[in-house]
Amino acid sequence: MRQRITYLQEPNDAVDPKNLQVTNNSISTKELKAAREERITFGFDELPQELYTVLKASHELHIRWARERAYESIAPLVSRLSPGLHVFYTPQRGSKSSDLLCPILEKVFGGNVSCKSPETSFTILPTERFSHSAATQFYTPLASLDDFRDYLAYKLCPVSDSACQSRVSSLSKAASLDISFDTISHAFTLSAFFPSTISSLAISKPKTSSPSRLEVGILNHEKATDIEELSMAGFLTVIGENTKPSPTLFSFPSRHHPSTEWFSSKFLLPTGLHPNLELSISGSQPPLDDRSCSLHAHITLPRQVFADKYQLSDPLFLASKNLTAVRYITSPVDLEAPAYTMDIWGSSVLLELAPPSSSKSEAFTAQVPLHLRYLEPNAGKGGLEQTEIPYPVLFWACTADEGSKFPINPFDRVNLGYDGLFGPRTLFFHLSPTPSIGEERLTNKLEVPVLDLDKSSLIEIGTAAVVGLGFLWVLWVLVGVWRRSGYGSRTVVEKEKKSQ
Amino acid sequence: MSKFFSSPVLVFSSAIALRIGLFFYGLWQDANSPMKYTDIDYYVFTDAARFTAHGHSPYDRETYRYTPLLAWMLLPTAWSSTWFSFGKVLFAVGDIVAGALIVLVLRNGEGKMSMESALKFASIWLLNPMVATISTRGSSEGLLGVIVVALLWAITQKRIVLAGFLLGFGVHFKIYPFIYAPSIIWWLDDEQLGRSKSSKDTDIISHIKNFFNGPRITLTISSLLTFLSLNTLMYTIYGYPFLQHTYLHHVSRIDHRHNFSPYNTLLYLSSSITTPSTSIKLESLAFTPQLFLSAVALPLLLAKKDLASTMLAQTFAFVTFNKVCTSQYFLWYTIFLPFYLPRSTLLSRPYLGLSAAALWVITQAMWLQQGFQLEFLGQNTFVPGLWLSSLGFFGVNCWILGIICGDVGVGKEDETRGVPKSVVEKPSSATEKGKTSVKDGEKKKGKGKKVRSGWDDITLCR
Repeated sequence: MRQRITYLQEPNDAVDPKNLQVTNNSISTKELKAAREERITFGFDELPQELYTVLKASHELHIRWARERAYESIAPLVSRLSPGLHVFYTPQRGSKSSDLLCPILEKVFGGNVSCKSPETSFTILPTERFSHSAATQFYTPLASLDDFRDYLAYKLCPVSDSACQSRVSSLSKAASLDISFDTISHAFTLSAFFPSTISSLAISKPKTSSPSRLEVGILNHEKATDIEELSMAGFLTVIGENTKPSPTLFSFPSRHHPSTEWFSSKFLLPTGLHPNLELSISGSQPPLDDRSCSLHAHITLPRQVFADKYQLSDPLFLASKNLTAVRYITSPVDLEAPAYTMDIWGSSVLLELAPPSSSKSEAFTAQVPLHLRYLEPNAGKGGLEQTEIPYPVLFWACTADEGSKFPINPFDRVNLGYDGLFGPRTLFFHLSPTPSIGEERLTNKLEVPVLDLDKSSLIEIGTAAVVGLGFLWVLWVLVGVWRRSGYGSRTVVEKEKKSQ
Repeated sequence: MSKFFSSPVLVFSSAIALRIGLFFYGLWQDANSPMKYTDIDYYVFTDAARFTAHGHSPYDRETYRYTPLLAWMLLPTAWSSTWFSFGKVLFAVGDIVAGALIVLVLRNGEGKMSMESALKFASIWLLNPMVATISTRGSSEGLLGVIVVALLWAITQKRIVLAGFLLGFGVHFKIYPFIYAPSIIWWLDDEQLGRSKSSKDTDIISHIKNFFNGPRITLTISSLLTFLSLNTLMYTIYGYPFLQHTYLHHVSRIDHRHNFSPYNTLLYLSSSITTPSTSIKLESLAFTPQLFLSAVALPLLLAKKDLASTMLAQTFAFVTFNKVCTSQYFLWYTIFLPFYLPRSTLLSRPYLGLSAAALWVITQAMWLQQGFQLEFLGQNTFVPGLWLSSLGFFGVNCWILGIICGDVGVGKEDETRGVPKSVVEKPSSATEKGKTSVKDGEKKKGKGKKVRSGWDDITLCR
């Protein structure tokens, strides 16, 4: 087991090394204002058996989670995800998807994960263009990591180990969680991000028999000389090896960069059955002016809501919504089925936005026309069903010169759903999501009219009665016709009548 | 006005001008407005045609639920952006041809209608803004119109093989024309064929022998042959997706987004109930009244009396009792109105006709208002609003269907042959005939107007 704990500070909060106490198996300080990333890499033998069985059948498995409550990101961990649980999965070459994946997701993350099997619930991602993306995708809203925390505590921490218990329980404060596995690196990594707080720091290396390594960094970002790079300064300590923090300053090319702009999203009212998601963006200027950049929105749509790619193909229509084009949409998306008859999780859309092309930056909005499926009839709710979709992710994508060097970044983050839709030489400048006024959560709520079961008791009998009556009325007329003139032609009838 | 309708050149040039005007207006709107004039389905057809042009299957286009023939017909739309509108021109030409066939059938039918009357009644189709709009927007429903009216023309001309071909082709194209098979077969008796009954035998065997006359057999074989060979050809080329999307989809579909059908709310309810026993029962039952009326009872009782009006009644019954009903389906029976209206009580009794038209429009408008509130304002109008208004619309349709059936059952020959007055309350002496037909003309106009305002309401919802 290898552990890396990184405290990330704003430059003016930077810690004074004199206040850091390092002993031969611990590091501590009284007060530290910092965000934190914890990264733990497990060996296969350290994993629970059931997890190992699933991984053995996987070529790649990446699980990403982001919380619904808004949080501030900090360089270099600035990439964003739509709130909820994202799973990116490639089965082992030549074998079919694991039947155990869905059950273990439910077991680890809670019963609300509605996943039948990778075949029926996951969507296929395009892998032909860029090979660096996983083959299939799954998403489900997930408000908290409580189930995951309990699972970890139960599987990883001995009952007596209170330090382990308290570290695991701190997961409930995490803003995002990444679990990564691939057969090539053969590593199973778990990393969690905790937004900035002020707290004391006291980390000691647990005494274990197995070989382990614990590395603690306290870093703040510096201005980098190259626009494609990020620069970090601070102290690194390997607990048990160093007796004092070693100062460091290093730069690395980074895929993800912060942007000074922010955005919010909301549904325009009334939503009806064709809701429009409005994105309000604080500025229209690209982050870099010496290369080509375009603003994108990556939207994760649970199955009850979908976008119609055919509607979104007309340039005039798109322009009227301040959109340029659909760059990617899950395929196929059923345009007709009611939500409750579907097993697939939903769909995702990558849209290129069309910011106004004025020379100075100005705030603007773009509207994304979406459509609702019929939802299951309900009772006791007045025929309205509350539903929500997670906030989209907005970023400027710019061409990079040094794309090939991104993986040397110790904080690099991939398999986020949208990075695989771009070439490897792409820089992402992330806009900060801001909840709408009076809200804390990064979700867009809407009310969907559904059949009200409280009022529906007469539907079956009423429809049958009316259809029956209508049918009988037509039959009645036909019986009259038959009795008057039979089934023959009128001339025959008349001849017969004359002959009578 | 009477001068206008006495000139085929004037009527047809107006019909063509109307379509040309709408066609170019549509091009202008599409190029200048984010709201498209072109029907969504037209993009489906043309995408499918493009797939076909590149050697792929038209079913690679999602929601393409038609015969590959349609995509083949529209292949020129894939040539260039100018040719993109070829299909609309094709559909509009189909409209005009259908109108011409209506005139031919009216002129050559039993009534031998005057050119002026024939043009007046054909104008219900030719000058109907709804019909012209639908075809110039690129919806293929008008194409069905031309196939079906050509079928009627061919059969009244006793061109049996051609009729069989058109019937098989129509069923391959859109399934529902199969309801015309029993009525045509039943109608095609010795009397129609100009043969006197060969013997006075009344035993069953000679009845059966008489029934299987040459034209009936020819029609059956030629239509089945056309239908089967087209399907075999398409299945050979496109395989299972052809069957799935063209036919099976219509049986298994569960998308019940609100539409005019009386079953709509029930289908929503039953599709969400997980116990399969009840839902299967209700859905299979829904076919019974629809098929019994449109494919059995109406052909059997009415076809020999007036084939064209029977086809109207059948189509009307089929659409009224269908599990899915949208305003495009109304076009299916509009094409037959010119054959039925001349002798209908809806025209001879203006109050009846006006009430029928008004109720048809009002119940539909009520439904549209409820639908608008649900669709665009997000108000829950499923029950009772949408449900009751669809039942109301259904009720009105049944009532009108009853009137049509009653009319076809008695009224056709009353003017010339004098059916007993007790059956039709209408003066029918020969001296009043001239007067009546002038009056009829006025009523027809009124009816036309009323119907059109109804169409306008529908176009709002599409």
